[in-house]
Amino acid sequence: MGKDLVLKTLRHDTVNEVPWVPFSGVHAGFLKGYTAREVLTDGDKLFDSLMEVNKIYTPDGMPIIFDLQIEAEILGCELLWAEDNPPSVMSHPYAGELEVPCKCKIPKATDGRIPMVLDVMKRVKAEIGDNTALYGLVCGPVTLASHIRGSQFFMDIVMYPEYVKELVGFCAEVCNAMSTYYIEAGMDIIAVVDPLISQISPKSIESLFLEPFQAVFDLIKSKGALSCFFVCGDATPQIEVMCRTNPDGISIDENINIYEAKKITDQYNITIGGNIPLTTTLLFGNQQDNMKFIVDMLDNIEHHNLIISPGCDMPYNVPIDNTVATIQAIKQTENVRKMIENYEAVDEDIPVDLPDYETLTKPLIEIFTLDSATCAACTYMVKGIMLAEEEFGDRVEIKEYKYTNKLDIARTKKMGVKHLPSTYINGKLQWSSIIPSKQELIEVVGRCL
Amino acid sequence: MMNIANLGQFVIDGNEPGVIENVNLLVAGKADPITIINEGLLSGMNVVGEKFKSGEMFVPEVLMAARAMNAGMDIVKPLIADNDMPSLGTIVIGTVKGDLHDIGKNLVVMMLESAGFKVIDLGIDAKVEQFVAAVKENDADIIGMSAMLTTTMTYMQEVIKACEAEGLDVQYLVGGAPLSPGYSEKIGAIYAADASGAVDTAKKLVGDSVMKEVMFA
Repeated sequence: MGKDLVLKTLRHDTVNEVPWVPFSGVHAGFLKGYTAREVLTDGDKLFDSLMEVNKIYTPDGMPIIFDLQIEAEILGCELLWAEDNPPSVMSHPYAGELEVPCKCKIPKATDGRIPMVLDVMKRVKAEIGDNTALYGLVCGPVTLASHIRGSQFFMDIVMYPEYVKELVGFCAEVCNAMSTYYIEAGMDIIAVVDPLISQISPKSIESLFLEPFQAVFDLIKSKGALSCFFVCGDATPQIEVMCRTNPDGISIDENINIYEAKKITDQYNITIGGNIPLTTTLLFGNQQDNMKFIVDMLDNIEHHNLIISPGCDMPYNVPIDNTVATIQAIKQTENVRKMIENYEAVDEDIPVDLPDYETLTKPLIEIFTLDSATCAACTYMVKGIMLAEEEFGDRVEIKEYKYTNKLDIARTKKMGVKHLPSTYINGKLQWSSIIPSKQELIEVVGRCL
Repeated sequence: MMNIANLGQFVIDGNEPGVIENVNLLVAGKADPITIINEGLLSGMNVVGEKFKSGEMFVPEVLMAARAMNAGMDIVKPLIADNDMPSLGTIVIGTVKGDLHDIGKNLVVMMLESAGFKVIDLGIDAKVEQFVAAVKENDADIIGMSAMLTTTMTYMQEVIKACEAEGLDVQYLVGGAPLSPGYSEKIGAIYAADASGAVDTAKKLVGDSVMKEVMFA
């Protein structure tokens, strides 16, 4: 079961597979056609999107919401909303005097968007929480301090260290409050997401932030949950001091060499997660790029204490088929290794006779998949398309080609198929990665009869 | 009397009062203002750039150093005629439309200024028309663009297309978390991984255009 796999990995037990945890934040909305803003503000749309993530991406663990601005918004920062990104902080209420917010401002469970988040957490827990490890993400204390103070915070670190300690101490208390709410709503793991850590010297972290971070991770442990420390950017010099904050896991992005970082995390017996490149591979790469990245990574790294994840929050419009290829490579590594070999070995000249699509006697529906026996998205695509057979019987012909044998790979190449799974009708691309509804399928196929 | 070379150390240490006091001493001692800038303030900031690149200094320390250097510059600049101010070239820079992240861009601005470039900073959420107008107005050599989001980085291509449509003779330097050398090349720009890299690349770009002018003169 995926959930046990994640929990055991974060407890440093020996497991047979490497867990897969996609950070589908705003990207979850993309799967259902909702904007970033909709999934970050509308509980029903967020819930729908998360159910789709669970269905198509079959994660072992997944976050509920990836928005580092929830706490800042409650503390008075104005946000600039986008339709394809999380919001950005526009104003910093503590940018003026050296002032620390009153403890009365620590967010309550009824403030801002917290009630919506807690409601979705409880619903997701009830629906899939037995099988999937659920992550509650809180904004880390250093990033939160910079949200409310502005970029002046960086110079404060040098000029006013005592003030910075006090401000980050307040923000750590915010983390503790948020962690408590999320754990009570059923989260198995609390991830403290602090991207700015990569911009601060290990020496400053040691002297100013080590204790507040330790307090945050201690609280999470005391409440029976597991903890992760997420960082973005090149935090290579900071990994060691991050380990000393005592989280159960650390998650890194592609700016860090995971093989070298793991040598350090292993010394501290901390689980490391990462680090599929967000843009070059997930967003702009193709399925082969994603498969190769994962197979190479799994071939070159010790699997104990390892979680595979994107480097950070997935870009909104990551092609679904790229994530599907990633999952296939994690869960069916040997098959995918064969697929890559076959793909590279297959010569364009392997004789493949494509049908004469102009003279077909009945509509021909061709489904190109990675392998519908093992890939969830492919399974759903095949099941969805087979409804046409139920509806139209032998008035249509349906064929599936799998990426597991050379002949089908050659056909896939000859057809110019770019994404798997895809469905073609009479030689023309009809659905790429998106599985049509029954109504849409019947309408489209009906028009071809 | 204060030694100019030692002034650089005050910059590296981010010691603003030290820089102010010693620049004043140097000025009182009739030191050449351009030498104070080049051999004191800028040479200190160049060391900061190297240390940032190698991971010995981080954002807070770099910001402090830049603040100290600027305090020194404020004293020396009024003593120099505009035409005598050393300049490697002019760069128009901004965080592109839809993006409010400017910590990295601000660091690049400071480093470029420290290296001797004239920088026109369009700030955040900078639009095509602003880039085009600023290049025309300042006869800029380079456009620098920053983006922190995968969605806003695609706007860089729009800026490049608009400048090409206007026939502007300018080169493009880009950076930010989601950017990569491959993507940058695809849109016709040069990628810089960090603020120090931006300075190195900008120097190279300006050097290349000078070479071109010499070769095709």
